[in-house]
Amino acid sequence: MTTRLNRRGFLASTGALAGGLAFLGPRDLLAQEGGTLRFALSTYPPSFDAWASSGTAAGTIKLLIHRGLLGYAPDGTLRGELAESWKVDDTGAWIFKLRDAKWHDGTPVTAEDIAWNVLEAQKSDSAAHFQGQLSAITSVETPDTKTVRMVTTEPLAVLPGWFADFNMPMIKKGEPRDTTLGAGPFTLASTDRGVSLSLKAWEGYYKEGLPKLSGIEAIVYADENLRVAALEAGDVDLIEYVPWQSMTKIEGNDELTLQTTNGPFMYLTFNGSRPPFDNPKVRQAVAHAIKREDIAAAAFYDRGGALEHLPIPEGSEFYNPEFKDAWNYDPDKATALLAEAGYPDGFECTMLSTAQYGMHQSTAEVCQAYLSMIGINVQLDLPEWSTRVQKGNEGSYDLAVMGTAASNNDPDGLSSVLDGSLPASFVRSFALETPEISALFAKGRATFDTEERKAIYKEMEKIAIDTTPMVGLSWRSQGYAMKSGVSGFTSMPGQLIFYSGTTLEETMFG
Amino acid sequence: MVRYIAYRSLMALFLVWVVVTIVFLLLHLIPGDPAELLLSQGSIAADPAAVAALRTKMGLNEPLWQQYLSHLAGVLTGDLGASFRDGAPVVGQIAQRLPRTLEVILTAAIIATTLGVPLGTFAAIRAGGKWDSAISLLSSAALSTPVFVVGSVVILIFAQQLRILPAGGFVAISVDPVQHLKLLMLPAGTVALGLWAVITRMSRATVLEVLQRDHVRTARAKGLSHRQILRRHVVRNALIPVLTVLGLEMGTLIGGTVLVEFVFNWPGLSGYLVSAVDARDYPEVVGIVMTISILFVFLNLLVDVVNAALDPRIALARS
Repeated sequence: MTTRLNRRGFLASTGALAGGLAFLGPRDLLAQEGGTLRFALSTYPPSFDAWASSGTAAGTIKLLIHRGLLGYAPDGTLRGELAESWKVDDTGAWIFKLRDAKWHDGTPVTAEDIAWNVLEAQKSDSAAHFQGQLSAITSVETPDTKTVRMVTTEPLAVLPGWFADFNMPMIKKGEPRDTTLGAGPFTLASTDRGVSLSLKAWEGYYKEGLPKLSGIEAIVYADENLRVAALEAGDVDLIEYVPWQSMTKIEGNDELTLQTTNGPFMYLTFNGSRPPFDNPKVRQAVAHAIKREDIAAAAFYDRGGALEHLPIPEGSEFYNPEFKDAWNYDPDKATALLAEAGYPDGFECTMLSTAQYGMHQSTAEVCQAYLSMIGINVQLDLPEWSTRVQKGNEGSYDLAVMGTAASNNDPDGLSSVLDGSLPASFVRSFALETPEISALFAKGRATFDTEERKAIYKEMEKIAIDTTPMVGLSWRSQGYAMKSGVSGFTSMPGQLIFYSGTTLEETMFG
Repeated sequence: MVRYIAYRSLMALFLVWVVVTIVFLLLHLIPGDPAELLLSQGSIAADPAAVAALRTKMGLNEPLWQQYLSHLAGVLTGDLGASFRDGAPVVGQIAQRLPRTLEVILTAAIIATTLGVPLGTFAAIRAGGKWDSAISLLSSAALSTPVFVVGSVVILIFAQQLRILPAGGFVAISVDPVQHLKLLMLPAGTVALGLWAVITRMSRATVLEVLQRDHVRTARAKGLSHRQILRRHVVRNALIPVLTVLGLEMGTLIGGTVLVEFVFNWPGLSGYLVSAVDARDYPEVVGIVMTISILFVFLNLLVDVVNAALDPRIALARS
């Protein structure tokens, strides 16, 4: 049989189709234009609620459009933002002096605006991230338009830290909570929900000469590999959450720069409401049974480090070198502790983690392997993240793998993972009382002298090492990668890594 | 024919209601509290009082039957509710996302059919020859390669090595038509590859079968040219099962392009569904599933109607 649909015809038509692709040409269209930085976010902000904790992507956007009373400098030190100075008076009340800043609509930021923010966020039904803490503020006074005085139930040294948090930015009085009218360096020009956000530099920003960029296109790239591919292909200039497996490749690329910080950390939490983990000796046994280096290798491609103490980074003034390897890998000690606790033959238990995030699952698998060596047979429970959160909150586990970052570099930021007096949460051990630790946290908050605070938190770490309400496992390297032509962006130190978006006001090309 | 379509449409609506009800109930059965999740972003401990306040605001403290009835009432009035996350109206979001997914699927279907039907026919004509073997080998390879592998490979080649196409993303056609088309090419091409393999194999099989039929032998005996026989008597008859398969595949793809959307960062309906399930955003999940169900059942209905138009015996037999 012959037909006109022959080989030549077929080759000619497919050839023509392939030739049609030539219109694409080189990708000059994607070249950078002006001073607009294309920033690949890992996820779209689930909400613009200024005072809610809506994740790090939302935090970054809030750092672009809003400013708090205070903030953090690139080196991690506390600095004034809307407040140019702050001090505690003789009665223990905090006084903030405002600078001449303006909201994006051109009206001045006043003390009345600030007071309104505090009073709204501290309402019991506000669902604000700092609602609990702010309830300690009994009154907010505004002696003049540029002065705010906050009176607390007792003196609170850590109060300025609350107002530096990206979950407590200031918005104009009367604005809805998800307003994008702030006082930050950028204004939100447009959004394509789930896809991208377009930000424009705001000329009325109170820091002269900033921001240096004329705009930022924040584009969501949920797939970490695509994020890297987009940076390598020149589609974007800066990416967050650099996957660990790509870090070496990026470092070897002359066109790109990688900045990393060991800030977030992985750790184990326990269910203290029932045996065997209600026994501190069993928890200590777990702490000494796991070789941390293997976790860093398996979960983070060696982009992290062993964490054998409380997650206080080495660079912190509150770091205690004597506890550096307090929870060191010592299987003999672990076995002895287990026997001492009444479990010479070990036991079986369930470890909660999640299969949704590779680092959580890999960490759980390494822990499972090491615990089996001292006779603790662990069955892994790896639901998706939402279920893992609920099970953690309900205490439906024996021990669990968790990963997070503290809210700042002050040891008080660790209360959320350590303080057993706080309500049940998946981020800390379940029903595990820590009366001494809770008391020391409270004492630390009320102490203003740095040396005294150091002594308090040193004592707290010693108690935590002994009672083991959580077990530190591994530091996690958190990275930003950018084109080599991008300057001024700084990966902030320690737990402040997710505040790095602050430095976008100083970022520029060249 | 009208009665047939009316009957099938009613059945389709019933099916959609069943699907929506099941999804609504299942969502409330699986663990995960949307209020808690929303306030625990970034692995931060949510304040229980804040969670309780948010649950009340979301209406999650109402009895389940009451939530179900209010949802159904909303559906009947065309209101699918608002996202738990940021209050965005679900209807608006679906209206924005659905065309993007349909665009990828339709482009893929056009590419796959344009290449698949002629290639399948060509392979059937050359059955047993080296071209047939080559096409069979290619289609088998295309069929057995997962989309995320194809996606990653084409990104590596076209975006990272050749740098002629963007790695992924989305720009509205109204903003930049050329960039939009460039961004569409890799996801549509990736979806098209699997679809092309199915259509090619189906076309080959059906053309081979039709070629053996008596009416083709008769046509040949009448002295018709091979081209006329192919066009009038073979391909038209062979198209019916191909069309059915294409319809089914497209229906499946409406909710099944999630991997492609993820790999290429294409903000379509499938990816939207996954993020909504992750966040336990009930109004969004139910709204999206309902949309996909409606499209799926009506696409099948459309395939049946077109089949009936192509072959009157089908409608006759069913009526």
